[in-house]
Amino acid sequence: MAQHGRSAAPASPCLAMDSDGDLQYDEDSADDDMVYDNDSGNESSGDEVDFDEHRPGPSTAHEVELAAEDAPFQVLSVQEIVDFMVVEINEVNEVAQLPRTTIRILLNHFNWDKEKLLERLYDTDQEQLFLEAHVVSPHITGTASQAPRVNSRVGAVPTEECEICLTVRPSAEMSGLACGHRFCAACWCEYLTTKVMDDGVGQTISCAAHGCDILVDDETVLRLVSEPRVLARYQHLITNSFVECNRYLCWCPTPDCGYALKVPNPDCRPVTCKCGHKFCFACREAWHDPVRCHLIKRWLKKCDDDSETFNWISANTKECPKCSVTIEKDGGCNHMVCKNQSCRADFCWVCLGSWEPHGSSWYSCNRYDEDEARAARDAQEKSRAVLNRYLFYCNRYMNHMQSLKFENKLYASVKEKMEEMQQHNMSWIEVQFLKKAVDILCSCRVTLMYTYVFAYYLRKNNQSAIFEVREPEGPGAMHLRCSQSIWSGTSLRRTWSTSNRKVQDKYRYCEGRRKALLEHVHEGYERDWWVYND
Amino acid sequence: MANIAISRIKREFKEVIKSEEIAKSMIKVELVNDNYSQLRGEISGPPDTPYEGGHFVLDIKIPETYPFNPPKVRFLTRIWHPNISSVTGAICLDILKDQWAAAMTLRTVLLSLQALMAAAEPDDPQDAVVARQYKERPDMFRNTATHWTNKYASGPKAVPEFDEKVCKLRDMGFEEHTARSALSSCEWSLEKATETLFG
Repeated sequence: MAQHGRSAAPASPCLAMDSDGDLQYDEDSADDDMVYDNDSGNESSGDEVDFDEHRPGPSTAHEVELAAEDAPFQVLSVQEIVDFMVVEINEVNEVAQLPRTTIRILLNHFNWDKEKLLERLYDTDQEQLFLEAHVVSPHITGTASQAPRVNSRVGAVPTEECEICLTVRPSAEMSGLACGHRFCAACWCEYLTTKVMDDGVGQTISCAAHGCDILVDDETVLRLVSEPRVLARYQHLITNSFVECNRYLCWCPTPDCGYALKVPNPDCRPVTCKCGHKFCFACREAWHDPVRCHLIKRWLKKCDDDSETFNWISANTKECPKCSVTIEKDGGCNHMVCKNQSCRADFCWVCLGSWEPHGSSWYSCNRYDEDEARAARDAQEKSRAVLNRYLFYCNRYMNHMQSLKFENKLYASVKEKMEEMQQHNMSWIEVQFLKKAVDILCSCRVTLMYTYVFAYYLRKNNQSAIFEVREPEGPGAMHLRCSQSIWSGTSLRRTWSTSNRKVQDKYRYCEGRRKALLEHVHEGYERDWWVYND
Repeated sequence: MANIAISRIKREFKEVIKSEEIAKSMIKVELVNDNYSQLRGEISGPPDTPYEGGHFVLDIKIPETYPFNPPKVRFLTRIWHPNISSVTGAICLDILKDQWAAAMTLRTVLLSLQALMAAAEPDDPQDAVVARQYKERPDMFRNTATHWTNKYASGPKAVPEFDEKVCKLRDMGFEEHTARSALSSCEWSLEKATETLFG
């Protein structure tokens, strides 16, 4: 079963290794000042002007954002992620006093939920826990010496047969995990390399023996594998699964951006990466206020629907019913087990229902035929009417998106204007209002863009009618006025001070309208005004 | 091919040749070409099953990364079994997928397949049609499997009733195997089978 479309995985941030190729599990390397708040984390905000780095879009105008966006978050580099992982391991270690590699495997088993692990460690049968997490209990010391079949005649070098290459080797070349299965170094190395490079497994490599599910720990991997490319990938896999399994962490979705973001609460909220990308922590899409995550996901999917790629995806893949990862089935039966580390759902490929009820009456997928087929027929009938409605909102959404891309030009020309103004005896600080105006123009555009998505999914009722009335007089009008005022402001060269005030008045007004609109939507969320179309 | 794969296969050959099963002519492995990347396996149908007395030929492809990845195995002989596709011979068996372990050998694979023939897993079917018959009409499943074994794997037991029906459809101008597949999938109802064939 292949797994596709994991957009959250970054290209390939490699771990920094020290000279020994060690994973750096020492406490000292943990960095103390990793905390960035919204302002210091994003250098393109504030008062600096650096147009080249500046992206048109939502990463601007911090001081006017809604209060929810001010909650602190951290941007972590790959090294800081490793440090964070070490801190987590050490914290557990202080209490649990187990080998660190064992703790890493245990923590991974609990998706890096420390409390859950500690609770289990002390509340219930520890041996059962070790069994579930596939580690040999560290309290039993005898198992490792599970008498390997040593062929030792007096005087001769003791030898053993490696079960993988079936050759007889000196015992010194053989090694194994605590489970007692021993293989020669060459086979171990080849086995681990295949697992890491071909299967992309890092956290959950099990012993090479048949039916043995004891997991290989870091130390063993570092000892047996010497190729730097494999080690780098192994460490990347470990970091990746740490980030993906940890609820409080996520990768920045920008291609080739190796940073991860850490938040105190894994809710729907905006975060801004060091690369400048501002996105929603919960769904990883560009920050989409006032629309909720599930709707923006549906919307974006809908917008992509027309492409050939979508046709291929819909013809050849399905989504995991639990974690929504896109899956291409490349063989085997209908019993699917999701390969996503943090999901592992069992389900039926035909009906996408849980596999459990299939166990006894394996093909009770009649559900699929009835509901799904009927839904498909109904949808077809409605689709004509729905299509027109969709096109209305989609066109407006797309227009704003296009314009947003062209806002770069506006930035360039405003920059020019500002330089010109500075030559007319205005100080640098005095001309900043223009850039500020464009920033606000952009954020208004983004908000406006998403209000179309929001409006599209709203079901008609009193509240939605109020919203639709408020919408155009809100950001729509403000946007228009804002851009007008910028141009009038920049063309009236001789009356700088008055135009300055004019532009500022306009953009303050527009920003005020934008905030009012967002507040209106959020108030609606709190009071359950909004009803959605399904 | 990688050295480790070749030396493993060479050694495994010795193992299969030495093993007791080969003495009882239960399993067999032969080379197809000189580079050990493709092999031909053969297993005898296990006793007390519809496959008893049949000889089933398998296509075994050894991947470059063997034994760290499983061999690709498929039935060349047509077989009626819930976990084996009646059309392509593809097998759904955990040890040929994610449960493969490097310490397993061709001998264990062939023996596992023999075990699978003796004890099907209808809850994880590869061939849905066969699996349904296995669950709902066990007697008919046994007869169909015996009939297929007789026709394709030179099994000793014929099922005259089924032979007749296949003959009838063949007389109507259908190819023999097409006719047999259609009848097997349509619970041996001549009417339904003709319908699907013309459908």
